[in-house]
Order: sequence, then structure tokens, then C-alpha cells
Amino acid sequence: MSTDFKEDIKNILAQTGNSKSDVIPILQAIQNRYNFLPEEALREVCSATEITPENITGVASFYSQFRMQPAGEHIIKVCVGTACHVKGSGLVHDAFRRELDLNDGEDTDKDRKYTIEKVACLGCCTLAPVVQVDNVTYGHVSTDQTAGIIKDFEKHRLSKKKKLFRTGSGKEIEGEIRIGLGSCCVASGSDEIRQVVEEVVSKNDLQVKLKHVGCVGMCHQVPLVEIVQTNQESILYAKVIPDDVRSIVERHFQPKGLLPRLARRVTKIAENILDDRNWEGIEKYSLDVREKPVSSFLGRQVPIATEHRGGINPLDIEEYIDKGGFLALKRVLKEMNPQEVIDLVKDSGMRGRGGAGFPTGLKWEMVANQTGSPKYLICNGDEGDPGAFMDRMILESYPYRVIEGILIAAYAIGADIGYFYMRAEYPLAVSRISQALEVCREKGYIGNNILGSSFSIDLRMYQGAGAFVCGEETALIASIEGNRGFPRLRPPFPAEKGLWGAPTLVNNTETFSQIPFILRNGADRFNAIGTETSRGTKVFALAGKVARGGLIEVPMGITIREIVEEIGGGVAEGHTFKAVQIGGPSGGCIPASLADTPVDFESLGEVGAMMGSGGLVVLDERDCMVDIARYFLSFTQNESCGKCTFCRVGTKRMLDILDRLCEGKGKKGDLEELEKLSSWVKKGSLCGLGQTAPNPVQTTMRYFREEYEAHLNGVCPTGRCSALIKYSVDDRCIGCTLCAQKCPVDAIPFTPHEQHVINTDICIKCDSCRQVCPVDSIRVG
Amino acid sequence: MEKVKIKINNSTLDVPAGLTVYQAASNAGIYIPVMCENEDVDHFASCMVCLVKDAANGKLFPSCSTHVYEGMELITADEEVLEARKISLELLLSEHVGDCEAPCVTSCPAHMDIPLMNRLLANGQTAEALEVVKNDIALPAVLGRICPAPCESACRRKGIDGAVSICLLKRNSADEDLKQDEPYMPAIQKDTGKSIAIIGAGPAGLAAAYYLRIRGHKVTIYEKESRAGGDLRVPELKDKLPEEVLNQEIDRIINTGVNCKCGVSVDKKLFDALMEESDAVVLAIGAGTEHIDWGVKRVFKGFEVSKRGYQSSNPKVFAVGSAIRASKLAVRAVGQGKEVAFSVDQFLAGEKVIGEPKVFNSRFGKLSEREHIEFLKEATADLRVEPAEGLGAGLSSDEVKQEAARCMHCDCRKKDSCTLRDLSDDYEADQRSFSADSRVETEKHIQHEAIIYEPAKCIKCGICVRLTRKHKEEFGLTFIGRGFDVRIGVPFNESLSKGLTKTALLVAEACPTGALSKK
Repeated sequence: MSTDFKEDIKNILAQTGNSKSDVIPILQAIQNRYNFLPEEALREVCSATEITPENITGVASFYSQFRMQPAGEHIIKVCVGTACHVKGSGLVHDAFRRELDLNDGEDTDKDRKYTIEKVACLGCCTLAPVVQVDNVTYGHVSTDQTAGIIKDFEKHRLSKKKKLFRTGSGKEIEGEIRIGLGSCCVASGSDEIRQVVEEVVSKNDLQVKLKHVGCVGMCHQVPLVEIVQTNQESILYAKVIPDDVRSIVERHFQPKGLLPRLARRVTKIAENILDDRNWEGIEKYSLDVREKPVSSFLGRQVPIATEHRGGINPLDIEEYIDKGGFLALKRVLKEMNPQEVIDLVKDSGMRGRGGAGFPTGLKWEMVANQTGSPKYLICNGDEGDPGAFMDRMILESYPYRVIEGILIAAYAIGADIGYFYMRAEYPLAVSRISQALEVCREKGYIGNNILGSSFSIDLRMYQGAGAFVCGEETALIASIEGNRGFPRLRPPFPAEKGLWGAPTLVNNTETFSQIPFILRNGADRFNAIGTETSRGTKVFALAGKVARGGLIEVPMGITIREIVEEIGGGVAEGHTFKAVQIGGPSGGCIPASLADTPVDFESLGEVGAMMGSGGLVVLDERDCMVDIARYFLSFTQNESCGKCTFCRVGTKRMLDILDRLCEGKGKKGDLEELEKLSSWVKKGSLCGLGQTAPNPVQTTMRYFREEYEAHLNGVCPTGRCSALIKYSVDDRCIGCTLCAQKCPVDAIPFTPHEQHVINTDICIKCDSCRQVCPVDSIRVG
Repeated sequence: MEKVKIKINNSTLDVPAGLTVYQAASNAGIYIPVMCENEDVDHFASCMVCLVKDAANGKLFPSCSTHVYEGMELITADEEVLEARKISLELLLSEHVGDCEAPCVTSCPAHMDIPLMNRLLANGQTAEALEVVKNDIALPAVLGRICPAPCESACRRKGIDGAVSICLLKRNSADEDLKQDEPYMPAIQKDTGKSIAIIGAGPAGLAAAYYLRIRGHKVTIYEKESRAGGDLRVPELKDKLPEEVLNQEIDRIINTGVNCKCGVSVDKKLFDALMEESDAVVLAIGAGTEHIDWGVKRVFKGFEVSKRGYQSSNPKVFAVGSAIRASKLAVRAVGQGKEVAFSVDQFLAGEKVIGEPKVFNSRFGKLSEREHIEFLKEATADLRVEPAEGLGAGLSSDEVKQEAARCMHCDCRKKDSCTLRDLSDDYEADQRSFSADSRVETEKHIQHEAIIYEPAKCIKCGICVRLTRKHKEEFGLTFIGRGFDVRIGVPFNESLSKGLTKTALLVAEACPTGALSKK
């Protein structure tokens, strides 16, 4: 065996390089090769390189991407992002564990076929709860579908469809069919749609241009197909399934005489799909012809980072250039000196979109003023918040815009090398950026003497390995250097001493994506949008209990109510709007009573929340605020790097109390202790992660204290905390036995035509019965 | 060298640029506590006990990792800073699974260092063991026969296969001494010129006399009976406690130079005279004797005294033993006799009488089944030895060695050199301030020849990791995992011996807690 490792490691090192800073790429390559990190392989790396056992063990065990034990053949990833959490992903996770018959501490079934993992966010919040089996994504999963999903996965794994190609035609084009290829769209099956469209188009030899577009933002309606007929208004089809494609395409691109027949077909399909009485399937789609709320969804938005959304092929550089792309860069390189660029960005009032809102121009100036060389630039795309997928969408849909923003910044600060730091969990974004970098290199936008100027820079890709704390800039730098992602104290700021001790600019992805707009249109255009202290726009991932979730870009200063009610279409399914959680684990919960709070850096801070990176999850009256606080705190506690006492131990002690409350084991004094801990963790922690971790707890305690007190008395007012609730059947029961059949622990005796009874001693509160009951007779309380 | 001007607590200092705040403050003689700081390796900012405040914005920051800059203004010790340090200590203590003192010691009313005695006895060092005993117990041969041994109830081995026979072990060391022609004689401090009157020669009075005498005072005991011993001479004890043993052990006390006036009943007149001529008076008159007015406050139980100082309402008068609260536990009386000596010294020195300082003591609960195995690593597997010659005869010297070797070393090796303990003491940290729902299980890694590693006592400061890295150990120590569950270990599950080939003593020395300690 050992000789095998020697050869493998030699090959891997030849690819990745063999210095200390390559340790994460090396580990990623080893895991790709073996599906885990065999100790022999790591030892081999140590003997073949300067990397020490101390370093490689420390790094491998720090990042959650790495496995020290072999995984099963397939990985089931249960998304536990915020949107999925509020829609019951915890129960789904438990259901999968039961399905795989796992004991405590196990994550792989006996046959070593499936390994189950929780992931922070798959970025498909609008399909929540979401489960991914290898590359297949299942949306709207309920606890009784676990067996079905595994069966479905097995079936499709074996029947590999042939790839379809469309034959080119030189004839005049009658129109365009646009298919969304953002992660949400792909996850909901847009790739399959694309294949069918290609098939239909090529079979009928239609003169239609097929176009792949990035995220439209309307993730609540995915997959989306837009038909643009020459000289006609475009028509958007939402939640399309493959079977509908032929009808849709033929409706627009076939002789008119056929239309009545087709229209009937469309209606018939719609009837079938909307009737989910006997629906056992996994994915659930309805066909809405011409989505009406589109205008209100898009009307309030101001696309800057997401300019030309839904109308631009992410990787088509010519199209990007046609729409004004790289104009800003050209102007900057030809007409402006670096200080002029910095001044313009300063004038625009732009503040960093990563969360803290530091003035961007000022940051650039700090780096520009450093005399050290080389200088580095890092695009922070390590978006780890549960419930946030702005960066992912921007990187997937507008790679050239981000690259242009980076190049402008690089010119302004005099950077020599730039890095894209991206989550390995975003494979599509990684591949789009890699391809975009390749294209830019070919076209001379990256490299030496860019566009004939004297300015040169190389941009490289770096994949993070799964650590939320690496979104913190000093931890991010530590990880690029090949270390555990421990943050360090600032000052010195990265602007003075960053990557390898050199001056370094770290900006968030969204920040870079807004730069070309500012340079192209001038500071005043940007400045005119937003509020006095918060200029421009902010991208949010709108999700949770809202009718229309998705990716939105809104002017700063818009109120929460406008976002929730106008853009989001209000709370879903006739429930009441209770609160929004804004800013993810660093942010806070703002109650409906404060919904008129404008969204800007200062106002959000005043109510105890923060802009954060832009997750915005809407909660309704069914959501338990103690549970929400526990959810976020368990996330940060789990992601704490463990360096400083206040965060490492403090968040754990806070979680202990929240766990107790949610299990009905709260003690007198717990709330006071929780308050004390919150304030000290905030004051005493070393980095932003710990300093903001108590925000979700503090805001929920501030606005929903009565819910905490209820938990202290063993009551969960919303019935969310499973330890505090009981399931029962009321007299609406028709004795259909569906619940008895679904119950995974046989807590409901099989008594046809009689009112069913739940044995609460056996019941595991998995919610399967409630979900399956056709007459809503299962009571929770 | 370039200098910068900074202000610490409002006084201006010129300090070399490049120093950390901690270094600059230390150089100026301003105290800031540290734990994860080590001058041989880079700073790390982990423990956060060195927090100080930025006077400009009120923010707290770790002084060990922040460099001075021109115009910096900081505060090193206001209420909030002190509270912050205390909180960080309490957070660390909330997950610190380790005892400073062994449970037997904390439950012994005289706080005798039992584990140390056991280790000396196991090693055949009987005389040294007796010295340890006599540091806290003036009458060990006596107590070795009559003490109900609360220490053995607390012994961690009790729950495994029977407590260590502590009481008999102590008795053996004392009995051995009684046999010597040249018995143990404590070092008597230089004559202080102070004289102390002790009223009552029961166990409390005798112990007080012994420890006051050792401190160099002139000590006189007044006993109304014809012989010293008090309640130790009650008939119920006759069978267990041979008169000869009692007499011999009392003589050992008297022989240190204590003047014992027996058959003298202290009346009001004599008491007034004693008050006049003595520098302090200790009432050890036992329970229920109230024939004269001692001029001090009484409550129902007995004389009212300060909690740890045993000082009565008259500052010059102290009271111990059953005189303050009736008790059949002789060891309590003996322990109080020792403690009052400390208080009297404080009084004589003109200090505030607060008694022996209560030192911070980390404790954790019962051992789990798995922890039994860990703790047994440091002891022999034998069952508790019952004396072959019967209880009256006590343990033979072979039996002593065998039994003493059963002691599991529950006390911390770093109890006298632990920064965490010292700071917890300084900042009056409360280990129960933040309640933990569960604790990690203790482990004792004893394979290394020179050191012991107890991960549950680790504060994850990483000094050891940085030291082994600096000294280029092949394997060294590393952080494994992250967050709350991070632990320190040898890479690739190698043994400690392989991990620490040259830095073992260094890391044990540098470890601020008992996680890494010398054997």
C-alpha cells in the first residue's frame, strides 16, 4: 500500500505545489483521490515536503470539508440553512438518520453506501427544505420522503441520459429561449429543462436562439424559462418541468393553427400537477402561465451588482462587453491615475458589503499608501452564512463584473497578485470563475500590460475548505497561508500587514461587483441612491415564510416592510408576519412592530441587528424565537475557531442555556445568566464572529422576552420545540390510516375507520403524521 | 531605538516602539495577568485574562497581542477590566475538569496533605510522611485510632474497590515516630517574646499550643483536670485509644516547650490576670463549661467568633473546639487548633484577623466508570489492606507500603504552581458561576517517562504547540479539531514519547495549568 501512496502523493504534489501555503489544496486533492484523508497519505506529504505533522494535522482537523474517516459511496447533504431550518430541516435530517439506521456518532450506513452530512447552506433557500444526494438536489423535502428520495436517486443514477446537442442552423432567428442557470435553477432541474429544450428545438429544427442566463433572482419560481419572440413582449414561465417544455416551445414557435389544441394540453397538465392529493413525488412544481407578481417583485429593485440580470449569459464575454462591460476598466486604465480612482470611490460613499460597512475608498487608500511590495488583493467570496447566497449568485451570474471590479481596485491600490477566495461548497461558482479567468487571460484582461497599459496583475483561485470564521479577513489570510483559520487581533489591519505580512486589500464579492457601475456612471449616480450614510444598493437573499423569495437588490433605506410585503408578496399562506432575521448569525431579529426600520447600516445597528452579509429570513407566527436564537447560536458555536475564551467557552455556555430552555429544563436565573454571557461574549471576543454571535440572542430576548419566560416554565408558545410538545389526533380524523402507515416508530396503531390515537411514549415527534394527514386532524401542543 | 509616548492609567510613559502593551506595562511595573503568554514564543491571544481597556473608545483588548503606538491611552484595572478577567477565568473554570486538592484533603477538617503522605509512605519514607502529617495534625497517633475519617468517605477510590486506609496509614507514621528514641521535633521559630494563654488542654487546646509554640511564642495551657487530654480521656474511647499512646503524644507537644499547668481551674480573677499579662488568650474549654463570665459574646452554640479567624468579640480572645460549637469530631478541634495559631499571629502582627487564606480550589464531581480506569493508572490494583494483626495492632510496614500505593494521586501536580489557580484566587473567581450541562471525561496520559498529560485541564492556549514547533520536534503537539471541542494532541495518534522527544520538561514547565506536568 505504502508505495501506492508515494506515487499518488507525488502526482498530487506535482499539481498543487509543495510549499506550506499549498497545504489546503493538497488536502483537497487527497480527499478527491481517496474520499477521505488517509493517515498514510498525510505522513507521505510530510516526508515529501516541508509541511510538518503538526501543521497538516492542525489544518486537516480545522476545516469541516475534510474527513478523517472514509465516507460512504454517496453523500446526502441535508441543508440546515436558516430558510431550511424554519421549514423543518432538522426533522428531515433525523428522518434520514432513521432511514439509514444510524446510531449516535455514526454518519455512514452499514453498507458504506450513504454518508449523511449537515451543510450550512446550499444556497437554494427558496426550495427549502433542501437535500442534496451527490449532485442531485431535492427540494421541498418532507420527513416521509426519505425512502422515496433514496429510491429516486438510485433509479436515476443507473439510467444515465445521453447528452443532447442542438444542430446549428444558419436561418434567421425567430426568437430566443432563455433558461436560468443559477444554482437555484440548476438545483430545481433547469439543466434537465435545457436538455429537453435542446431536444425539442433540434428535432423541429426551429430558428431559435437558446440562451443560458444567470440568476434572475426569482428563486421562488425556479426553474424559469423565458421566451423572447422577435418584436414581442417576452413571456416568463415559472416552475417549469421537463414535460411542459414541448408545450411551451411549440406554443410559441409552431404554426398558429395548432394553438387551441396545445392550450388545452397546457391546461390539462396544469390540472394534473396542481392536484397533489395523490402526489407522492419528490419535486413539486406548478405551471403558472405569465407570472403576475413579477412586476412587484422586480419593480422596487435597483440592479447594480445584478445589472442586466436574466438577460446575460454569465460566461459570454462579448455580451458583457456589449452591455458596457470593461468600459469602466478601460477608462480607468487610460484616463485616470490610481488616486483619482480612489477619490471617485470615496465620493460615491460606497461602504463594504461584507457586513461591517467600512468605507471602501478609505480602505483602498490605506493599502495604496503602503510602501511595501508586493501588494495583494483578495476577493472574499467565503460566504458561509446560513440563509445567504448573494455572493454565490453574483459569482455564478456576473463573473466578469466581479473581475472588472477587482481589476479596477487592483489598479487603484497597485496590487501585484489577486486571489479569489471561494467556498468549495459552491462548485458552480468555482467553475464559472475559473472559466471566466481563463477567458480574461486569453483576451488580455488579466496578465501583463492589461489592455495595452503598463498595469499588470495575475488573479488566482483559492478554494476554502469549510470554515465560517474564514469570512473574517485575518482568518481568511491565515488559511491562504496554509494555517488553521485562526483570526488575529487587528491592528495591524491587513491593509498594513496582510497576506504574508504584505499590504493586502480584502473586499467582499458584492463590493467588487458594484465598482464597475460607479466608475462607469460616476460617483453621483451611485450617490443618489440610498440614504445619507448608506449609499447605493444592497443585495439580499430573501427567504423564509414569504410568498416570493429570491435574490433581490434594493436601494439602501428601503424599509423592511417594503421588502417583505411589496417585493416578497407578504407572508406566505395567510399567516402573520412576526419578524425578520436579518444579517444571519451576526445579525438580529427585528419584530414586525419595527418593520418600518429603514435598511441601512446605522438603523439596523440601532435596533440590535446588522447588515451582515445579506441574509433576510422572514418569520411568521409559527416560528419560535427561542428556537431561532438557539439555531443561530448553535451555528456560531459550531463555527467558533476555538482560539479565545469568550467565544470558545462563552458561546458554548450560552448554547447550554438555550438547549435547556428548548428542552423544558430551564432553571431559575438562566435568563439573567444568558444576558450576562451575551454581553461579555460580545465585549471580550477577539474577532467579529464572537463579537456578533450574541446578536440573535440579544435581539430575541429584547423583543420576545415573553417567549423565553414561557420556555422557562416549560411551554413553547409556537409548538416548535419538540421536547415541549405532544402530538395527538382530534375528532376530525376519518380513520384513513395514512398516519399509522407513515409513523416510523409505530406509535399509531393501525385502526381503519376509527379515530387514530398516538402513543406519546413512543412518539418521536417527527411530524410525519401531521404532514400526511389529509384532514388536518393532527394536533401539536 | 524609536520610542512612543503612551498613557497607562493616566501616567505618561516613553516606551520602545514594537513592544506589546503587556510588555510595556510590565517594564513599567504595572501588573497585568497573563496565561497564554510565553516569552519564548509568539503571542497568541487566547486566554483573554490580560484584557485592558482602550481609554479612547472603551473597548477591551488583549494586551499580550497589541502593540503600543504613539498616543495610545489605556486603563489596566478599572471595574470593568477586572470583571472581564474574572469572567474569562470563570468561563475557563466552567470546563476545567480537575481537582486542585484531592477530595480527601478538602474533606479533612484539618486539611492534611493526605496524597503526599501516601506517596511518601509508599516510597518507604515514613519519617518524611510524619512531618507532612504533623504540619496539620498535632495528635496523629491519637486521631489514627479514634477519627471517623471523613477523608476516607471522600476518597475517590471508595467508589471503585474501597477507600485507601488513610487513617491507619497516618497512625502508622505516628506510631513509628513514637517508637523512636529521637522522635520528630518540629523546627521552633525564633522567640517572639509574646506570651499566649490557652485555657483547656483538650484536643483543640493542645493543637493550638503546638502550633503557637512552633511560631516562637511562649505558650501556657491551663487545665482544670489533673492531666491534659480533655475529652480524649472519656471512658468511651478507652478501648480504642490506649492511655499510653495518648500520654506519649501529649508529651511530644509539651516537649516543644509548652508550659502546661494542670489542676488549675481558671476563675474570674485568674482570667483577668491572664488577660492582663498575656498577648492573647485562646479559650478551648470544651462544651458547656460556663462557670465564669469570659467577657465575650456568646450565642446558643457557644462563643461567637469570626468565621475563619476564631476571634471573639474581644479582639484579644480567641475560641476553638467545642467551646464554639459542640462536636465529637476530634479532628475538627485539632484542625481549629492549627488554624487559630495562624489567626493569633495575624492579631499579634497587628494585621486584620481573617484566618488562613482560603485558596481557590477547582473541583469536579464523581468519577465515571471510564474515569475509574484512568485514575487507577496511577495506583496499584490491590484491594484495600486490612491489618493482618487486627485493628488494634495497625498496619505492618509492608502493609503500609502496599496500602499507600493504592492512592490514585487525585491532587493536581501543579496545585502550587498553576497560573489558573493563582489568578482564580486573585480574582475570586467562582467555578460555578457558569453552569455547564455536561463535562468532558478526565484522561491521564502517563506513558511519557517524565511528564503527565491531562487534557481535561487544558485551556487550549497552545503554548506547548508553539514550543514544540519552535524546537522542531518531529511530531510535537498540535491543535486537533476546532471550537469548543478543540484539543491538544500528538499528530497521527503518535505517543507522547514520540511527540515530545526533547521538549517534555519545557512544555510541562510552561503549561499554565496542570494539563502538562512533571511526574
